Amino acid sequence: MDAVTSLFPWITNGPLIVVQVMSGLSVAMFLFLVSVGMSLIFGVTRIVNLAHGSFYMVGAYLMVTLVETLPAHQAMFWVALVLAPLGVGLLGGVIEVTLLRRIYHREPLLQLILTFGLILVIGTLVLLVWGPDNKSVARPDALAGSVRIFGQPFPSYYLLVLGLAPVVAIALWIVFYRTRWGMLIRAATVDREMLGALGVDVATLYTQVFIFGSWLAGLGGALSAPTVAVALGMDSDVLTTAFVVVVIGGLGSFAGSFISALLVGELQSFGILVFPAVSIVLLFAIMAVVLIVRPWGLLGRPEE
Amino acid sequence: MRPRLRSTLAGIGVVALLGVLPGPDRAGAQPKPIKIGEINSYSGVATVYTFPYKEGLALATKEINDAGGVLGRPLEFIHRDDKLKPDEAVKAARELVLQDKVDFLAGCISSSVGLAISAYAKDTKILYFATHCQTSRLTWDDGHRYIAHTTNNVNQYVRVAAKKAATLPIKKWANISPDYEYGHNMWEEFSTYLKKLKPDVEFVQLNWPKLGESDHSSYITALLQSGAEGLFSSVWGAQSIAFVKQARPFGLFEKMRLVAPSVGNPDELDPLGKEAPVGAIATPFAWYDAGLHKRHPKLEAWTKKYTEWATAKGLKDPQPKLGASWGYASAYIIAEAIKRAKSTDTEKVIGVLSEGFEMDFPWGTVVMRGCDQQALPPQWLGVVKLDAQGKPFATDIEEIQGKEVARSCEEVKDLRAAAAAKQKK
Amino acid sequence: MTSVRWLVALALLLVLPLVLPSFLVVVMTEIAIVALFATAFNLLMGFGGMVSFGHAAYFALGAYAAALLVKQAAWPMPLALATAPFVAAAGALFFGFFIVRLTQTYFAMLSLAFAQIVFTVLFKWKTLTGGDDGILNVWPPPALKSPLAYCYFTFAVAGLAMLALRAIVDSPFGYALRAIRENPRRARFIGVNVRRHQLFAFVLSGFFSGLAGGLFAFFNGSVFPDFAYLNKSFEPLVVVLLGGIQSFFGPLAGAVGFKILETFIARQWPVYWPLFLGSAVVLVVVALPQGFVGLLQRRSWRIRAAR
Repeated sequence: MDAVTSLFPWITNGPLIVVQVMSGLSVAMFLFLVSVGMSLIFGVTRIVNLAHGSFYMVGAYLMVTLVETLPAHQAMFWVALVLAPLGVGLLGGVIEVTLLRRIYHREPLLQLILTFGLILVIGTLVLLVWGPDNKSVARPDALAGSVRIFGQPFPSYYLLVLGLAPVVAIALWIVFYRTRWGMLIRAATVDREMLGALGVDVATLYTQVFIFGSWLAGLGGALSAPTVAVALGMDSDVLTTAFVVVVIGGLGSFAGSFISALLVGELQSFGILVFPAVSIVLLFAIMAVVLIVRPWGLLGRPEE
Repeated sequence: MRPRLRSTLAGIGVVALLGVLPGPDRAGAQPKPIKIGEINSYSGVATVYTFPYKEGLALATKEINDAGGVLGRPLEFIHRDDKLKPDEAVKAARELVLQDKVDFLAGCISSSVGLAISAYAKDTKILYFATHCQTSRLTWDDGHRYIAHTTNNVNQYVRVAAKKAATLPIKKWANISPDYEYGHNMWEEFSTYLKKLKPDVEFVQLNWPKLGESDHSSYITALLQSGAEGLFSSVWGAQSIAFVKQARPFGLFEKMRLVAPSVGNPDELDPLGKEAPVGAIATPFAWYDAGLHKRHPKLEAWTKKYTEWATAKGLKDPQPKLGASWGYASAYIIAEAIKRAKSTDTEKVIGVLSEGFEMDFPWGTVVMRGCDQQALPPQWLGVVKLDAQGKPFATDIEEIQGKEVARSCEEVKDLRAAAAAKQKK
Repeated sequence: MTSVRWLVALALLLVLPLVLPSFLVVVMTEIAIVALFATAFNLLMGFGGMVSFGHAAYFALGAYAAALLVKQAAWPMPLALATAPFVAAAGALFFGFFIVRLTQTYFAMLSLAFAQIVFTVLFKWKTLTGGDDGILNVWPPPALKSPLAYCYFTFAVAGLAMLALRAIVDSPFGYALRAIRENPRRARFIGVNVRRHQLFAFVLSGFFSGLAGGLFAFFNGSVFPDFAYLNKSFEPLVVVLLGGIQSFFGPLAGAVGFKILETFIARQWPVYWPLFLGSAVVLVVVALPQGFVGLLQRRSWRIRAAR
């Protein structure tokens, strides 16, 4: 009880609340980037990609390597930020073509187990390639400091995330609702067989979607690398959180992921302050409540 | 062949294979090695600590064996992975005792693993040398004669940090520590000792992020409002790096002085780079420090030797980390205990340990205390600074002997009695 | 299985612990516990078609119930062990009520959420459970303490439990469950109360998982909160997959196979073990849909056809 009173006496402190809300938003934006990829992959291919956290981790590690090997110039950070997710997309593509294609017709459970096996494989490979030591990426000088929001310092780097994520969200919206490819994807989420019957190369579409989803996960990892430690174990942390966010939002729902990410980001931020004792389980408690009230997540549809 | 018979035979074959399975034939080795079953976490997140630790252990073992071994027999460590799970550790301990017939058990990095192995050792009456894990409960609250701890426990380096903290003109302290046994242990040791040294200190806020938390923004915001002038942090490893990186741009370290025992070590400083918390007080193993080299003339040669060894073994970061010194010391302490007992008989070795002894290492004298079979190595304090190239390091190294701050034998006796009373209930 | 096979198996179970070295006796005990947990899990998954990601919760509830009854209430071990599954079943009843309302992925995730809640309670309620220090020195009574004695004990208890599970699977209830797995709507049409059957299956599965947990508590000598954690929940999943989902003895075969692999490989190369396990899992999914048991069955099919 001590913790409750001492952590949140500033409930009337306006500027601090704003800063806390914005912190929660940046967390939400990271979550969104990672979970939307997972939701997308599920929506189209019906595969719950448990290796999504591993893709995120690889994105972060690639970021470390790129920043280390590229010439030491400030602009190189941005180059790395572009290249790292591409690397992850490539990895995703390889996995999709060699492994996932063989199991699309199988039971969902087997697909799940396969992606779980991938977690173990990728995790060990990361240990073997990069070694066990903790790594990190420095924030670019331009974003290393902070800005003042109502007099309170707020890290500039988070502004990048806050700015980027809505851009990504809008870009995704445009892709899904204003391009032919996006239309095919939306059609595939509704009825793949029909789509195939109409002459669309569904197999290639699946590969493209998987690459795109992995790319998003890699982008999430690369973007978050300067704010955390790049270390083993990142994959399971992110996976659990992303999975929960996706489920709360409803599997396959793009808007659901967005709302869910916002909800989870803010609830966690403030939840920790109001109920510090349950910080370990807060995320799952939120999910449990949502699922009890809405069995298919906030905006999900009943599965076949 | 009839299908059912076939599968039945296959089943029998599999089971028979199990029976044939015992490890490689060791009949060739002579004389018979002294076998120590070492259980630790060799896969996953703990490897950042256990890889250097293992190499320190291996280097020491080689030195010992090259010098003739122990009682004329080579020392051999058989390693098993506990996957950071206490039940896996107990399983491994069983295997080592029953199958490999080890003379002693050793190891652990996770405190709960250490406690689990300790319970097994007590029950089986085999001597267990706890190495990398840190909880003081091992030899104190839950201590018994079948456990010895070859490295310092939480109590010593935290008290050293508290001693330094008491010299600062800071009255209001806040805490951020991971919410599990180790984190609570750390804060308790720090706060009680600090209060004893400086009764007018006030603890204004306690933060308990979950172990492995990746986003600390809520805690940072809370800390900014706590009014604290000093912050004690026992988050470690990747979580510590994340916390520091996140806290810095909020200006947290301008508002309060950071006392974080683990942050001075290279495994946290190196990744942080120019984002390291300059001015933070830590308890690092600053193997590179010129002052330390002057004080301990053998240290520089040892760090060179270890670095060569680790590089040859393929470690990506071969610098002598704290864990390396712990592994090195552990091997030597175990060997010394056996040497002094002139036997591998458990009771005789316990006899030696309960009398206690001292050993010199390149970084100072380690006291193995008799009353609790607990090691009391030298402790160091340092302050984090950036060098000319912007690389962080620990400097202004002060050395304090562990035995000066550790709880006394009487206090240990009281702790054990209290724990036993709670058990009886 | 013919009675000959049964007798051979029984003979093996009785004789092997006597002739094999102590350490392998311990391994066999563990296999029996894992096999029981996996078979209980498979009741739900293979026969009921419901995948749970949070089954470790019931395993842990059983383990902690057994440990607490022995340490805090000073109950004799057999009584504590007999009570443990009921505690687990109670948990399964309470959580299951909410979980069976969902399907597939949501079912799995809610079960995970509840398991995490159990984990958190075990972790945080230090005064009762000891928190992450766990409860130590939970040993069986002297008569059962030796590896050999506990092995026979576990064989007996797990064996009886497996017989019970087999009876459940072959009962009308078991067939109704299979019907629900195949097509819930049709099952509802023929008058099967889908929800109630699923909940009952969940509770039974939780009951036997709790029994496995209790056996494990005394086997291990201590209990820890991570018995309820995510990785423990994935253990029966992997074991069942390796062994074969559709068959009753699949989980047993999987447990044996998994332990052999683990003993051979994880011991020698701990760093590479996850890599190996992951690759094995991937391989099995891609190439061996029916798991190990399926491998044996397939070959016998071919031979039969050749005659």
